[in-house]
Amino acid sequence: MRDRFDTLYKDHVDLMYRYANRLCGETEAAKDLVQETFLNAYRGFNRFRGDAQVSTWLYAIASRACLRMRRKRKGAPERELSLEEFIPSSEGEFHLQIPVEGLSPEEALQNKELRQALNAAIDKLPKKYKMVLVLRDMEGLSAKEAGTVMGLSERAVKSRLHRARLFVRRELSARGLAEETHEPDHESLT
Amino acid sequence: MVKRAAPKPRRRLAATPHRHEAGRCLGILRELSDFIDNELPDDICLQIRRHLGDCPHCEEFVASLRQTVSLCRGNPAPALSANERALMREEILNAARFR
Repeated sequence: MRDRFDTLYKDHVDLMYRYANRLCGETEAAKDLVQETFLNAYRGFNRFRGDAQVSTWLYAIASRACLRMRRKRKGAPERELSLEEFIPSSEGEFHLQIPVEGLSPEEALQNKELRQALNAAIDKLPKKYKMVLVLRDMEGLSAKEAGTVMGLSERAVKSRLHRARLFVRRELSARGLAEETHEPDHESLT
Repeated sequence: MVKRAAPKPRRRLAATPHRHEAGRCLGILRELSDFIDNELPDDICLQIRRHLGDCPHCEEFVASLRQTVSLCRGNPAPALSANERALMREEILNAARFR
């Protein structure tokens, strides 16, 4: 049993820590989540039937643990995102005001302010939307895999993902507008 | 200094507020993530491409949504040190023994 656990841990701890960090947004909470995930995996090893990949099974355990930990903290109730709230109504809302054009994502994200703005936008997402965005756009899972992890249909995953992306886009756009007021020259992307 | 590629010339947006004529733009807005992910049937993709060719507002919107997705995909996450990895393993095994 110990050998099997060690192999599981060695092969997946980095993956789970990355996922936990993206979900929790802070190091200590991420470590707690990873420990809870592997502890549950250790106890549930014999129940793993091998229908899904081991990583998908671990993602599902981590996601459930994350939701349980959040409920214990009794944060603000989850809100639904409607498509209507993302319909642009003014000229400035159509494009990102943060200057990323002509840069690769890696180059753009070297800018600390942009990275912070992106992480703040993702953190503001209601948890169930954040989880889908993290699984699909950051962890690289397919809609089907994300659905297996979260117990959702592919259609529900796609619907939540679209709203999550629109939310982050709007947050980045709004932040850019605010910054532009104070700092019209964006040459600070160096 | 980060190298900057020459930006694509951007079409001028109309000076008047955009009204999402005849609901066409709103219909497109609903499909954009599937469009970006190449998960729509060919005929719908073609319709959307045609609309984007005619509507600079939607074209801007798609570009900004693509940029958002690219930023999410490229966003790095911190990694554990070897020491942290070993410490966490011990804590998990201890908890499994005593909980």
